[in-house]
Amino acid sequence: MFKPNRKVLVSLGVILSLLLIVTGCGGQSGTAGQTGTTETKEPIKIGFLGAKTGNTAIYGLGNLKGIKFAVDELNQKGGILGHQVQLIEDDDVGAKDQAINITNKFITQDKVNAIIGDPLTGLTRVAGQIANSKNTVIMSAGCTGPNVVEIGPYVFRDTLLDSVAAPATMKYIIQEKGWKKIAMIISKNSDYSVGVSAVFKQAIEANGGSVIDEEYIQDGDTDFSAQVTKIKAANPDVIVFGGYYTEAALIMKKVREVGMKDIAMVGGDGLQSEDLVKIGGSAVDGVISFAGFSPEQPTPTTQKFMDAFKAKNNELPDLFAANGYDAMMIIAKAMTDANSADPVKFKDTLAQTKNYEGVSGTITFKANHEVIKSPVYLLQVKDGKFELLKKVPVALN
Amino acid sequence: MKDLMQQLINGLALGSIYALIALGYTMVYGIISLINFAYGEIYMFGAFTGLILAATYKTNVVVALLGGMMLSLVLGVLIERVAYKPLRRSSRLSALISTIGVSIFLSTLMVLLKGPNTQGFPKLFENKVYAIGNFQITIYQIVIIGVAAFLMLALHLFVTYTRTGRAMRATAQDQDAAGLMGVNIDRIIATTFAIGSSLAGAAGVLAGIYFNAVQPYMGTMAGLKAFAAAVLGGIGSIPGAMLGGLMIGLLEVLSVTVNLSEYKDAFAFGILILVLLVKPSGIMGQKINKKV
Amino acid sequence: MRNIKNNWLVQVIGFVLVLIMTGLTAQGLSRIMPPYYLQIGFFIGINVIMALGLNLIAGATGQLSLGHSAFMSIGAYASAIATVTLHLPFPVGILLGGLAACLFGIVIGFPTLRLSGDYLAIATLGFAEIVRVIFTNMQITGGAIGFLGIKNLTTFPVIMILTVAMIAVMMWLENSRNGRAMLAVREDEIAAESVGVNITWYKIQAFAIGSFCAGVGGALFAHTTTFIQPTDFGFMKSIEFLNMVVLGGLGSIPGTIIGSVVLTTAPEFLRFMANYRMLVYGLLLIIMMIFRPHGLLGGFNFRQAISRALFLGRRIRQGAKV
Repeated sequence: MFKPNRKVLVSLGVILSLLLIVTGCGGQSGTAGQTGTTETKEPIKIGFLGAKTGNTAIYGLGNLKGIKFAVDELNQKGGILGHQVQLIEDDDVGAKDQAINITNKFITQDKVNAIIGDPLTGLTRVAGQIANSKNTVIMSAGCTGPNVVEIGPYVFRDTLLDSVAAPATMKYIIQEKGWKKIAMIISKNSDYSVGVSAVFKQAIEANGGSVIDEEYIQDGDTDFSAQVTKIKAANPDVIVFGGYYTEAALIMKKVREVGMKDIAMVGGDGLQSEDLVKIGGSAVDGVISFAGFSPEQPTPTTQKFMDAFKAKNNELPDLFAANGYDAMMIIAKAMTDANSADPVKFKDTLAQTKNYEGVSGTITFKANHEVIKSPVYLLQVKDGKFELLKKVPVALN
Repeated sequence: MKDLMQQLINGLALGSIYALIALGYTMVYGIISLINFAYGEIYMFGAFTGLILAATYKTNVVVALLGGMMLSLVLGVLIERVAYKPLRRSSRLSALISTIGVSIFLSTLMVLLKGPNTQGFPKLFENKVYAIGNFQITIYQIVIIGVAAFLMLALHLFVTYTRTGRAMRATAQDQDAAGLMGVNIDRIIATTFAIGSSLAGAAGVLAGIYFNAVQPYMGTMAGLKAFAAAVLGGIGSIPGAMLGGLMIGLLEVLSVTVNLSEYKDAFAFGILILVLLVKPSGIMGQKINKKV
Repeated sequence: MRNIKNNWLVQVIGFVLVLIMTGLTAQGLSRIMPPYYLQIGFFIGINVIMALGLNLIAGATGQLSLGHSAFMSIGAYASAIATVTLHLPFPVGILLGGLAACLFGIVIGFPTLRLSGDYLAIATLGFAEIVRVIFTNMQITGGAIGFLGIKNLTTFPVIMILTVAMIAVMMWLENSRNGRAMLAVREDEIAAESVGVNITWYKIQAFAIGSFCAGVGGALFAHTTTFIQPTDFGFMKSIEFLNMVVLGGLGSIPGTIIGSVVLTTAPEFLRFMANYRMLVYGLLLIIMMIFRPHGLLGGFNFRQAISRALFLGRRIRQGAKV
């Protein structure tokens, strides 16, 4: 009955093919920061927490690209305080138990000086609890939800918060554009979308607009024909979608297909990605989003970053890459200013960061070390490019 | 009312895609009673093959579709060889776990190869919109419904009228008896995997064209819903799979029409459970009396 | 000798003593173990409890359930509501979490357990999806944003005591009249019914106890992570538990424990492989099933092996072959 030859052959084949794949597509991975400089000083260790595989890997990998880019840049300039920077990457697959294990590993086994991640609000809350209780700085380069920095003095983030930008955007489209009848689309299984949509809704009411149709989708959906058919029947002035670029592009394709030729979509910085245009093509022309920086009138810092990033990665950085880069650089600056890589010391310097000109916008930490990015830019897609529509200053308090 | 007609067409197009994947589930299940969880990933690989052919090699839609089907076919046979055949004599649960392993392997492999981002599908032909009376139908929708209907019809004829088709039905009824009658069981199972997989591949390319989005994890939910569709229609029955697929597609679209879109997925599975409770073998499934 | 062993009072006292010892050992361990390993211990405990519940349903009674994570989520949310919204103490929260899941197990069990085999599997899968969608849209659970403000109340001794208690109960159940009836249902429903076993009753019983375990596991999970979202309890989570049970050996309690330990620690061991980790995980599942289709301990009777080693083999009845 037992035929060892067959089974051995099969599994050998499987292992061989795995080896081929591993060697075949290797090269792009590998830990950054261990570039062969013979440094006698102990390196400064930064842990990257985020998903590299699984459904949420887009955000994690985006972050990671930006962080790696920053680490390479730092190391070329001689590191931080003369120490090389070593990046330790671990994949949490977007799962809480994994994120908890990794955070503990970073702090107690690897003895990292700071953690960057997770791009998801939920995982940042979970990892933030642990990092804060063990006096390690954690900075999320993607989370926008509430109850994050309140966890404690070691928890930071560098993202543009919806609570400021979303009302400014709604004010603009209702009062300046005169679009009062609004159709909203909310991605029900995305905490980002539900969160930002609530802010949008409040702002619409405050500015005298009205939500005449509300449709629900889910992240990962691809068929929006039913929702778009209903929106067409409701005949709104504008579509407000708090969500990410993938779904936005697909919705807009459908919107144009059913004959709503001129209607615009307005959303948050989740829409800001080269992929919006890549997937949506000409259908996304007219899409408006808010953002922390303008690709049209970039500051020299942003422009330099975008060019260098494009030269290295053969693509423009997305929002997560830019935020990841800034997170690494702000931490590096705080360490340098504090003249210490000890989180207990540099966290206070970090909290006092004011008007830091990052590549994703100008970053200031308020008294409660919550992040504020000012000014907010309103951008509109025109012929496949994001163009500046308006610059809205934000009060820094 | 005008809205409803439009939604029915939307649902029909979506349902056709589910139906194509469901056919693969139903055929494989009918013969070896195995839920192949790697099916969604075969669908995903089909979609990516179509994408690569169309984007990198600039082929036309027919080549992309056939290419997607071919690769899925090879993949399906390979899965059968590696992950199912050595397990044919073990418990069904072991085989199930093995296909779950394949599913995890394939989706991770695709993330490593192409990245996790959703990729747009290149325009293979111009999309036109036809207005018929009050509603409109796009060329994409016509093509998808048409191709799906053609493939399903071809499959039905194949299973009903060819020698291999007869052998498949015989194997489904009683594997041992069919074997004694001279049916090459190994070959029939491999053929079933091959046909089912190529249909999933076709569904993948069609979905890529229609939704304009291809992503490494697109197979998971589509696979689950297609499996639900197969069970709903009566697993093992080819017309049942078509009916189930169309029903799930229509139901999803209608749940949006009645303002309950946030419960879209719950509806699909809710109706499945209800149907199973009333008729445990599915709408068109045959009741199998247990032998003592 | 035999009388003393069979006396229920002696058994109960022994059980309590074991629990106390477990608690004390865990307390000691949590002081000396590095936090990283201790944390993995938390998840091993939770997963053992979850997997034991599923083992009773799928392994002992033979009812394939693909919705185990739904019961976990019910337990997690119920306990979170109990401790956060209603300010009840943690042990009550755990109990309520278990009971809520148990209740749903029974409610769902009555109609769906008429279905057999793969039909039941798809029905439970559908149920799990429905539960997830409902939690995503409910107000009290925080919807997609998640349930905030859960306190970190789970401690290592609590997890270990509950794990050991669950193992003991499962072992006791396996050898009880009920456990044998469940085995009979798995082996042959019609034969079992014809000798007077009420198969629906035993199926419901297995479902209720299994769901209770899942609810307790969910409560512990919620109070470990301190924050839960519907996405934490997706389809893949159910599959993970099924993998643990099948990998260890379907129907075998020691097998289930080993399967849970292996699969909970596997991601940590495979961490050095970085991006290829999930690839290898998928492959391991396939290779395992090819070489040991009945699981690591499938077909291996633990009790029998031990008793044989102690020269008591003849007195122990041979358990059913898995």
